[in-house]
Amino acid sequence: MILFWVAAGVLSAAAAFLILGRAAKAAASGEAADPTPVLYRRQLAEIDELAQRGLIGEAERKTAHAEAARRLLAAADTPQPAWSADRAARRAVLAAVILAPLLALGVYVGLGSPGMPDQPFAKRMRSWLASSPATLNPPELAAVLKKLTAERPNDPEGFRYLALAEGASQNPAEAVRALRHAIALAPDRADLWEMLGEALVVEAGGQLTDEAKNAFQETLKRDPHAVVARFQLARARIESGDKAGGLAEWRSLVGELPAGDPRREALTQAIAEEEGKPAAAPPQFSAGQMSAIRGMVAGLAQKLKTNPDDPDGWVRLVRAYSVLGETRARDAALKEAKTRYRTRPDILESLDAAARAEPMK
Amino acid sequence: MAEFGAFALILGLALSIAQLGLSAGARVRRSTVLAAAGEGAAFAAFLATAVAFGLLMHAFVVSDFSVANVAANSHTEKPLLYKVAGTWGSHEGSMLLWDFALTAYGAAMALFGRNLPRGLKATAVAVQGGLGSVFLAYTVFASNPFVRLVNPPVEGRSLNPLLQDPALAVHPPFLYSGYVGMSVVFSLAVAALIEGRVDAAWARWVRPWALAAWSLLTIGITLGSFWAYYELGWGGWWFWDPVENASFMPWLVATALLHSAVVTEKRGALPGWTVFLGLAAFTFSMLGAFLVRSGVLTSVHAFAVDPKRGVLLLIILGVTAGLGFALFAWRAPGLSQGGVFAPVSRESALVLNNILLAAATATVLLGTLYPLIREAMTGEAISVGPPYFNLTFMPLMAALALLLPTGPLLAWKRGDALGVSQRLWIAALVALAAGLAVYAMEDPRKAFGALGLALGAWLIAGAIAELVERTRAFRAPALESWRRLVSLPRGAWGMTLAHLGLGVFVLGATFETTWRAEAAETLPIGGALNVGAYHLVLKDVGPIEGKNYDAERAIVAATRDGHPVCVGEPERRLYLAGGQTTSEVAICNRGFSHLYIVLGERRDSASGPVWLIRAYWNPLASLIFLGPVIMALGGAISLSDRRLRIGVPRRREQPA
Repeated sequence: MILFWVAAGVLSAAAAFLILGRAAKAAASGEAADPTPVLYRRQLAEIDELAQRGLIGEAERKTAHAEAARRLLAAADTPQPAWSADRAARRAVLAAVILAPLLALGVYVGLGSPGMPDQPFAKRMRSWLASSPATLNPPELAAVLKKLTAERPNDPEGFRYLALAEGASQNPAEAVRALRHAIALAPDRADLWEMLGEALVVEAGGQLTDEAKNAFQETLKRDPHAVVARFQLARARIESGDKAGGLAEWRSLVGELPAGDPRREALTQAIAEEEGKPAAAPPQFSAGQMSAIRGMVAGLAQKLKTNPDDPDGWVRLVRAYSVLGETRARDAALKEAKTRYRTRPDILESLDAAARAEPMK
Repeated sequence: MAEFGAFALILGLALSIAQLGLSAGARVRRSTVLAAAGEGAAFAAFLATAVAFGLLMHAFVVSDFSVANVAANSHTEKPLLYKVAGTWGSHEGSMLLWDFALTAYGAAMALFGRNLPRGLKATAVAVQGGLGSVFLAYTVFASNPFVRLVNPPVEGRSLNPLLQDPALAVHPPFLYSGYVGMSVVFSLAVAALIEGRVDAAWARWVRPWALAAWSLLTIGITLGSFWAYYELGWGGWWFWDPVENASFMPWLVATALLHSAVVTEKRGALPGWTVFLGLAAFTFSMLGAFLVRSGVLTSVHAFAVDPKRGVLLLIILGVTAGLGFALFAWRAPGLSQGGVFAPVSRESALVLNNILLAAATATVLLGTLYPLIREAMTGEAISVGPPYFNLTFMPLMAALALLLPTGPLLAWKRGDALGVSQRLWIAALVALAAGLAVYAMEDPRKAFGALGLALGAWLIAGAIAELVERTRAFRAPALESWRRLVSLPRGAWGMTLAHLGLGVFVLGATFETTWRAEAAETLPIGGALNVGAYHLVLKDVGPIEGKNYDAERAIVAATRDGHPVCVGEPERRLYLAGGQTTSEVAICNRGFSHLYIVLGERRDSASGPVWLIRAYWNPLASLIFLGPVIMALGGAISLSDRRLRIGVPRRREQPA
């Protein structure tokens, strides 16, 4: 706080010095001449110089010279009103020098947060490091662990804790990254692979991606009894249509879990829910997959633009637009394709069929 | 420290108000003491704003997340350059950069304007102080970057990864120095109107400022365009996006201003029009600032989606520009009309240049605002795209380019059309031959492309012809020509370079848009695609880990006729902090041309993973960015001409 007052004082004084210094110099120096004639005289000299170098012709020099000379005369004839160093102005300057910092201070007290100290990251980190881990919240713990893992990059356990803290801070991407480091250091630990799989599922918003499945398979290679990995892989089987197989695996998992395990109850419920469902839902696409699809459709449209004689391509494009629900693009593509193949009824028929494809949700 | 920054910013505002009051008082009372105090206040306001700017940057560098702006736009894992660049990566921070530039120009005007008449200078410093007060007040009260958080988050939300790029880190400072440089021209124009004196001397005082601002704006726009070219991964460099247009319109107006100021300086003609352009240049700069901050546009530039701030900025724009133009309407009829000139003369050529540039600005303005107005009236969103601009803007520019080489060869007052055509016939032949050769040789044949190419060649050959003419090369003895060449004023060199740069740009732009080739395919590892004359093979894709992102990096080997050409390594990055992905394009330079490779998303197919690879062959694309750099260089060289140097007494050896 003291530092603030000192700094504010110094800055205000510097401002006052700049204003007063400049004003004092002006008060001391006399009346300056009007610079306009000087400038026109210069212009005249430049015209002569250009002519001397041969860059303008004699006729051009003459007219330009005459014009600049006329300007010079006109400027010299127009008397400029005199300026003076009046004494009364000094009071106004002094008032401005004093009032400006006061005004600034007044507004600052209203708008700012006086007395609030800086909190640079390094300083906060020092205080976190000094306090007991139990008092830190997950993001703080993650920040501390990140620093520690950077200092001890060969300790898989540090990365595992970091992953836990990142997971608790809703940062699945960071958790995945930490677990990959941990696995690189200790590739045989099934628990790390299992955590990676879980983090990947969270990162994908609950979806079982190929990467996640792969992580769970790696887990089972190292520990065939890993509960989460078995549960998730069975879920993958159910989602891909093998409902009976997946449910059987879940049921055997329930049997293996000890009676007091809370996961047992959750799993029993999941089984009941799954049994109640009619059939497997059609596959859903994640946002990432959707953008890949759109990219491919755009690529196809581009290809047809450069190489349009491709009836199958047109049918695929129209179907893709229908499925994506982009009716305007579909109609445009349909129109273009129909004009192109207006003599080929078989293609027209497939085009119409493609245009009727159900848009997905 | 952060609190001291908040205080310094407010002190900057108070000192700007003092600057306005003292300088205005000085003009009214004709007091040298008050005038000097006003200039001192301009220095002091700059000092205070610079301190505030420096302290915000400090907060970014040390990741002080108790400053709300830092928490929203920074991250501890970000490389240092982007922590610094984060200072102007947000609405609040960039407003502070704007204020910093505004007060810096105010101080520069107070410092360098020693040879301005007292009345003009005091009024201009007062107007500059007024602009500073308005924008600083907006920053302090409506978008203060020093707002603090009582419970700072552990981590910041990071800067938009698209903006984490070296070109973009320096793009805003250049652009803003250009935008805000127009404020000096605006202040001088308003001051001249108040003083009732717009003459050759005034034009001479305005030119260096306009030239400096124009050069900086040119660099700023080019950096932005270059960034769009390699960072967005669409292979394009100009999209007629409203944000791009917002920066392009002040540029067009400033270009017109540079040319009309020459006429006013040399002949005393067109004073009203030059003043008008001076007012318009800064108005368009403010319009640009409004468009990107009001939330009416969606783009990487559209920081603030807060309509309240947009309305405030619109009010500032309306009041400032309104006052300027009202003053113009009141005072302009009284301005003297200056020298007369014949229909065929340098003046006429420059007037035509101005008409074309003004018309071009109007078409861009219409194309930018019409969709917004229409959306506001009918609620229906339409977009005005390249077809509109190709049909309206391009013909105007083509006419301008056709005319351009004749201008510098015409004499002032009364020119000799026949003489000019005699001097330019070689240039015309060169252009024609270039166009025909390209039409015959490039595949596929495209008449428009060949025409554009001929235009580019015409501009370059015309600029060289002008140089040849001035030095009498090939007609006078070589020594004589050499003597003339080295004694050419730098202003002449600057003009020639700027015109040459435009020609280089036209060549690149025409070639790239006409003969670019593109291909896109999903490839497995080992897959290949062809683009132009090149055969690309996807060799490998592997994960890499960056400081604040994870990425996949592809290795793409390019060959031409079986010979290896280069290996591109495009990346697709996932930024951990915001979860956004960006693509890092790989560009292989082939002479001035680019082989441009983009890695798309990974997809799992039955036979293993595949990647969408897009590749472009962009012939002569480097020239698109090289041209404007040459133009800006021309501006800088002109600026160093001692005839334009401001405030420095002329040291000149007495002619014998």
